[in-house]
Amino acid sequence: MKKRQLIWTFLLICTFSVSCLFTSCGSDDEKKLNKYVEYSLDYFDTATSITGYEENQEDFDRVSDEILKELAEYHKLFTIYHRFENFENLCTINDLTDGVHRTVTVDKRIIDMLLYAKEMYQLTDGKVNIAMGSVLSIWHDYRTAGLDEPWLAELPPMDKLVEASKHTDINNLIIDEENSTVFISDPEMKLDVGAIAKGYAVEMLARSLEEKGISGYVINVGGNVRTVGSKPKNEKWLAGIENPDKDSDEGYLVYLGLAGESVVTSGSYQRFYTVGDKNYHHIIDSKTLMPAEGYLSVSVVCKDSGKADALSTALFCMDFEDGLALVESLSDVEAHWVFEDGTRKTSGGFDKYVTER
Amino acid sequence: MLKKNKSNTSASDVGRKRKNDIIFIVLLLVVISVSALVMLLMRSEGDTVIVTVDGKTIGEYPLSENREEKIKNGDGYNILVIKDGKADVTEASCPDGICSAHRPIQHDGESIICLPNKVVVEVRTQDKNQPDIIT
Repeated sequence: MKKRQLIWTFLLICTFSVSCLFTSCGSDDEKKLNKYVEYSLDYFDTATSITGYEENQEDFDRVSDEILKELAEYHKLFTIYHRFENFENLCTINDLTDGVHRTVTVDKRIIDMLLYAKEMYQLTDGKVNIAMGSVLSIWHDYRTAGLDEPWLAELPPMDKLVEASKHTDINNLIIDEENSTVFISDPEMKLDVGAIAKGYAVEMLARSLEEKGISGYVINVGGNVRTVGSKPKNEKWLAGIENPDKDSDEGYLVYLGLAGESVVTSGSYQRFYTVGDKNYHHIIDSKTLMPAEGYLSVSVVCKDSGKADALSTALFCMDFEDGLALVESLSDVEAHWVFEDGTRKTSGGFDKYVTER
Repeated sequence: MLKKNKSNTSASDVGRKRKNDIIFIVLLLVVISVSALVMLLMRSEGDTVIVTVDGKTIGEYPLSENREEKIKNGDGYNILVIKDGKADVTEASCPDGICSAHRPIQHDGESIICLPNKVVVEVRTQDKNQPDIIT
C-alpha cells in the first residue's frame, strides 16, 4: 500500500513537471508578462492601436482605457471635421461669424499644439504649414467626392487652388498665450493640422505614461508610432517599415529596433483617389499645390513623435538632397526614403536602428 | 512453515513490484503523449483570425481552414477570405478601398482595418518573432 502511494506521488510530480515544461518553456523567477493589443477606430479619422505588456488583461485595460480617454480629448480638441456642443476646438477656430473669424478662447492643449506647429513651420522652412487649410479642404472635398463616385472623380481646378493658396500665411494665426486665445486675421484662411496633430497628441500621451513610470507600451495612431520604454527584459520593439509594393512577397523593407523612440511613415500608397488612370494621394506640396511626387514613402525615426510626424510630411515634399541636409542638421533624427522606382536611401545614422528579425 | 510463507510473500512482492514498474512507465508515457498532443492541438488552434466590428468580436476563425465570410455592419460589408494560411479582405463596400487593397496577412499582430465599416481583421499566431509595429 505504501509502495503504491509512493508511485502515485512520483507520478503526480512527473505529470506536474511535464505539464510545466510544456506550458511555459523556460519558466524563471520573473513575472510572466503577456502582450495585449487594443484597437480603436474612433479618433483622428484613423485606426489607433495600443500594445502593451502586462501580467493580466485587467492591468492592461486600465492603462489602455486611460490612454484612449486622453486620446479622445485630443481628438475632440484638434479635429477640423467634427463639432461638439458648447465646445471650442479647431473647427470653431476655423468658423466664420459675419464673414470673419472670432477670437476664440481655447484649452491650453490647443495653444501648445499651435505653438508647436509654428515651430515646425520654422524647422521645415514652411513645408509643414497648418495655415494651408483652404487649399487642403479643396483637395479633401474632391478626394472624398472622387472616392464616393469614382466615375465622376476629377482634379480640383488649378485656379481655385491658386486663389486659396493666397490665404495661407501662418503669421495671420494670432496666438495669445497669456489669455489662451486664438484668432485668424485673414477671413479666407483656415487651419488644417493633419500633418501635426496626431503625432503631437501621441507624443503627449506617451509622455503622460512616462511621467507615471509606465513602460512596455506602443501607441500607434494611424501610423504615428511612439514606443514607451522597451519590451520586457529590455528587449527592443521590432518595427517593420511596410513595403509600398503590395504585390511583393516581402511585407517589410527593413526592421528597426526601438525602445522609447518614435517612427512615422508618410506614404502615398494608402490614401489616394484615382482620376483617369492616375492615383492622387493626400500629401499636398505647398509649392505646386499638387500631391508631392518622388517617393512612395518616407519614414522618420526620432524621440519626439510630433517632430517625426511633421518631418515625415516635410521630407515627402522635399528633394532628397534638401531633405537629407535637413535630417543631418538635426541631432537624433534619422530617415528612410523609398523612391517611386522602389530604390531606397537612408540618412547617415539610420543603420543604428536597423535590426534583424 | 512461517519461513516458507515469508519467502513466498517476498517472491510475489518482486512480481508485484515489476508489475507496478510497468504500470508506472506506461502511465508516464500516456501522460507525456497526452500533454504533447494537447500542446500540439493548442498550438494549431492558436493561429486565429479575429474579426471585430465596432469594437465587438464577431468571429474567431482558424487560420488553417479555408473559408469565406461576409462581415456585415449596417449597409456596409467586407468579404474576408482565409486561404492557404493567409487572411485577406478581397472586397468591401467602403469608398476608400484601403482594406481590400491591403496585402493578405498571416503573421502575429498583423491587421487589416476598414475605417468606414469599423472592421478590424487581426491575425494571432504562436510565432512571436514578428514585428510589434508596422509603419
